[in-house]
Amino acid sequence: MRPFEYVRAVDAGQAVALVSADPDTSYLAGGTTQLDLMKDGVLRPARLVDVTRLPLSGVTSTGSAIRVGATTTMEELAADPVVIERLPFIREALLLGASTQLRNLATIGGNLLQRARCRYFRDPAVEACNKRDPGSGCAAITGFARMHAILGTSDHCIALHASDVAVPLVALDSVVHVQGVDGPRGIPLTEFYRPPGDTPHIENVLRHGELITAVEVPLLPEGARSHYLKVRDRVSYEFALTSAGAALVIQDGLITSARVALGGVGTLPWRSWEAERVLRDAPATRETFRAAADAALEGARTLPGTAFKVDLAKRTLVRTLETIAGARA
Amino acid sequence: MTAIIGAGIDRVDAALKVTGSANYPNDVAYPGLAHAALVRATVAAGRIRAIDTSAAEAAPGVLTVITHLTAPRLDRGPMTLLGPSPPAPIQDDRILHHGQHVAIVVADSPERARHAASLVRVEYETVKALLDLDDPRAEVTANPWNLDTDRGDVAAGFAAADVVVEGTYTTPDNTNNPLGLMSTVAIWHGDSLTVHDSTQWPHNVRTSLAKIFKVPESGIRVLAPYVGGGFGAGLRMWPHVILTVLAAREVGRPVKLVLTRPEMFTSVGHRPHSVMRFKLGATRDGRLMAIDADGVSPVAMEDDDYEPVSLCAATAYGCSHVRTRDRQVRLNIPCPGSMRAPAEGQGNFGLESAVDELAHALGMDPLELRLRNFAQADPESGLPWSSNALRECYRLGAERFGWSRRTPQPGSMREGRWLIGYGMAAVSYPAYQVPCQARASLHRDGSAFVRSAATDIGTGTYTVMTQLAAESLGLDVSRVRFDLGDSDMPYSPQAGGSGLTGALGNAVHLACRRLVGDVLDLVRDDANSPLRGMKLDDVTVDQGRVHRVGIPEQGEAYSDILARHGVEELSADGRSIPPRSEDLGMAVAGAFGAKFVEVRVDPDLGLLRVARVVSAIDGGRVLNEKTATSQIVGGTVGGISQAMFEDTATDRETGRIANATFGDYLIPVNADIPDIDVIFVGEPDPATPIGTKGVGEVGLVGLAAAIANAVHHATGRRIRTLPITIDQLML
Amino acid sequence: MEVTLNVNGSAHPLRLDARVTLLDALRDHLGLTGAKKGCDQGACGACTVLLDGRRVVACLTLAAQCEEREVTTIEALSEEGTPHPVQAAFARHDAFQCGYCTPGQIMSAVALLAEGRAGSEEEIREFMSGNLCRCGAYPNIRKAIRDVAEEG
Repeated sequence: MRPFEYVRAVDAGQAVALVSADPDTSYLAGGTTQLDLMKDGVLRPARLVDVTRLPLSGVTSTGSAIRVGATTTMEELAADPVVIERLPFIREALLLGASTQLRNLATIGGNLLQRARCRYFRDPAVEACNKRDPGSGCAAITGFARMHAILGTSDHCIALHASDVAVPLVALDSVVHVQGVDGPRGIPLTEFYRPPGDTPHIENVLRHGELITAVEVPLLPEGARSHYLKVRDRVSYEFALTSAGAALVIQDGLITSARVALGGVGTLPWRSWEAERVLRDAPATRETFRAAADAALEGARTLPGTAFKVDLAKRTLVRTLETIAGARA
Repeated sequence: MTAIIGAGIDRVDAALKVTGSANYPNDVAYPGLAHAALVRATVAAGRIRAIDTSAAEAAPGVLTVITHLTAPRLDRGPMTLLGPSPPAPIQDDRILHHGQHVAIVVADSPERARHAASLVRVEYETVKALLDLDDPRAEVTANPWNLDTDRGDVAAGFAAADVVVEGTYTTPDNTNNPLGLMSTVAIWHGDSLTVHDSTQWPHNVRTSLAKIFKVPESGIRVLAPYVGGGFGAGLRMWPHVILTVLAAREVGRPVKLVLTRPEMFTSVGHRPHSVMRFKLGATRDGRLMAIDADGVSPVAMEDDDYEPVSLCAATAYGCSHVRTRDRQVRLNIPCPGSMRAPAEGQGNFGLESAVDELAHALGMDPLELRLRNFAQADPESGLPWSSNALRECYRLGAERFGWSRRTPQPGSMREGRWLIGYGMAAVSYPAYQVPCQARASLHRDGSAFVRSAATDIGTGTYTVMTQLAAESLGLDVSRVRFDLGDSDMPYSPQAGGSGLTGALGNAVHLACRRLVGDVLDLVRDDANSPLRGMKLDDVTVDQGRVHRVGIPEQGEAYSDILARHGVEELSADGRSIPPRSEDLGMAVAGAFGAKFVEVRVDPDLGLLRVARVVSAIDGGRVLNEKTATSQIVGGTVGGISQAMFEDTATDRETGRIANATFGDYLIPVNADIPDIDVIFVGEPDPATPIGTKGVGEVGLVGLAAAIANAVHHATGRRIRTLPITIDQLML
Repeated sequence: MEVTLNVNGSAHPLRLDARVTLLDALRDHLGLTGAKKGCDQGACGACTVLLDGRRVVACLTLAAQCEEREVTTIEALSEEGTPHPVQAAFARHDAFQCGYCTPGQIMSAVALLAEGRAGSEEEIREFMSGNLCRCGAYPNIRKAIRDVAEEG
């Protein structure tokens, strides 16, 4: 790890000013991605600005939404009574991610900004990584791709966005609130991430120095049922091979409202408007669910190592939707 | 026998381990301790064209950077019980595998050492690496261990068979990955040397370092009182140990090296992948007529490893016609090494899967097929087994498991959306024992201290040897201390091959018996002693006393004898010699086992869960039910891990290991493991005085096949490639 | 940099490289070697300690971040030689073999009980899954925790 200076921020304005002024300065929150990548030599900041003591923690309810402070930890958010009551699939996704020890450190802001798990990205001994070293190529495409993405990929990068909680968050049209030197702005999570294209090193629309201060999460409508299902090799403590987060309102056997997103398959948390279109105003049947899953995975691009994930992702989504429909019945 | 043996007493080292006080090699600190970090090759084959250490040397706190350009010439370590030592590191510019050590950096803090290591710039001249067993350029050795078997007439056997099955089975590279990062701390004092090391064999480290650094063995002390697991990774003295010792000499300070987790994948061995073919022929009524097996595994370019994967077919069943063939292929890979149940772990998966396929082809219960082919005598020598309770393992294991509830048709058992499968496998683990020594001392207060330079890598050695010594000396366990992990103690072989408990136990037993004999010598002419003139066979020991057999009143306490004779301490040595089948007229048997597994498969999502395991084990005499059970449970978890998770992935182009972290290389977590039922059957083995057979590895073997067989029963799908993963099970 | 760590009830002023993790500060600078390093990547749980009463992996926490917080390690668990009930239960149930992951398992189990997540076998399995054990002591770890949970 390269030597760095540690600064504990006294207020958000100071933090934003410090980081914005210097491309070699980064934020430090829970540290579970940042320190890991610094140890690997992938991230090499000269200065870290610790934002964990800023008053950015906690969940407040506005009636139709909750506002989650950026440094709220995953465990804290999972324990929030409104989340438990009104956003159960967020709680499910949170508790299926990482381990309790990591969830006690990892913050919601940091979770959204977590970096790819790709071992080609994380190992500087690998020369070809467009995300780490733009223009150098992508070793993952010809390597072991089982844990990589099949949606939103490009010829330059197939790295997965591995967050669980971002899946229900993106399904809910959450808004990321950030503060920059030019003031605050809100960014819909659906527009927050950038697909790799030919610039995989640019992962989101944040400008350097912009600080996530909160995530605003709309509540599910009354009568909605939600579920997050995660499929992986181990029963616990592993990233998803595939996952699905969905919320449905079903009235008299008809789906009146649907929100669907997928994990484990996309270069970003994958909102599936295609699946939602199929589901909306359709009968809550297995056939509908299958059609939705087919629509969700249309356009998937696979490699030999990821070919099975198309079918698995469809089955994961179908099971998720069936579970929701079954729970309602 | 007193109740000391067999009783499930708590580990004698439990208090240290639950308080975090057990001192592992990387817990050691010294004043002025410096820290080392390694630089590893980023190509798999070629030469170092240039190595620039200037930035590293200029970095704050750096004490030295040693490369092949600056390192002294070092001899290769000696020939050992386990074969040749690994070649000495950084002796020339050649690169033979990705991850090979090319430099060691020493600094005054671990952070500075690691950062400086990242500043070493290496330019390589690369050549196309040999990474594939099928590469026509690779050197192939046939029959590398001279263990190929030819028994009877295999062609005739198959000709007489009604049913023949044949399959190719493959197992991947697995990495030992003990949780403890392997660590070395080296301190020179002039020409003498103290080394703390994560070794399973302190004497080997001592002997090897003496030869390599040309100093007398008597000046070297190797300490390993606690080791954070081994599973074979600590059997050999690997190059990083040499580098640390070299660095400590160079900087004139104590130096500590802690391998990183990624380095654990390339520095301390691994279970090599294998491709195996098993062909079995049987009569309609299930009599095995012929077995033909072959296997191939890779080895490093200039090192050695023992993995005769097909050999298990030679002795597992009573079959007259058997042929086994093994081959080894030299590749540009980190050297493989023993990993818990080397060769057996791979071979048994192939053999016991094939037996299941044969049972299916015959329409016969797989348990029944195995019973019909039980080897009444050792198939190779024809000698009767010293002990073999495999049939009791079958019977009691099946009973406990409820095997009779199995309906034979694949896919015929289900619960909700879960398909249920019952599978089983058998294990005949080879016997292994080598000479070992121990010393027992009796103190004036009648307490005893017994020691040997063995290690306890979690196996329970401290505890069971304390029990054995207590029994042999007639003392309460609280009056006995057993110590180990110090090369200044009497010679011990490695903790490996399921052989240490037998070798060490017999040495401890002998030392203790001799000690009692020495006590009798003290009173031989002692008119005040009721034991005067008695021989060892005339007496028994109990509650700190020696007394005439059957007459407790005619005896006296150790403490009284020693006090009366003014003896402060009495010591005796014991040396165990492995039993030999030809001397005994019996085939010295290893452990046997029968494994029964229930799996659940969600065929939609491809999920596989192990729901229940029953392991019935004939391990001979069980010294401590608690620790022996833990050995079997732990082995079982290792077997589940081999079956479902472990797969060291090597990039085909570069030879880099692509998943060298605990986040990417999967081993089971708590939620993956069901409760595991262990039954011990059988009797003490008569081949040695203490009657144990070793239970360190038999627990692992058989699980992979039993799980694959259960998956076939659940789904009708035969998986011949490990690990069994979701993508293979989506039906 | 100057960092004061509050560990097991006492304040320790230290002079540290900013790169030093909480784990290395405990082990290398305070001589508290109970917390173990198994991966240094947050993937094994051997370094689990309590930070303000919550379990965390000490290897992915900078020491500097822990100022003004209370760190509790395995060394503080037993009081005057009397083992904590979780420690006693681990010994009784042989919930370890090599012992290397054990301090992390025990700290995690202590936190698990405090979190109220030891109510069922399934809960224990899931919420102890952040602590790898290569020796395979998982079933006995569960038995030990269940025992303590049932004792109340």
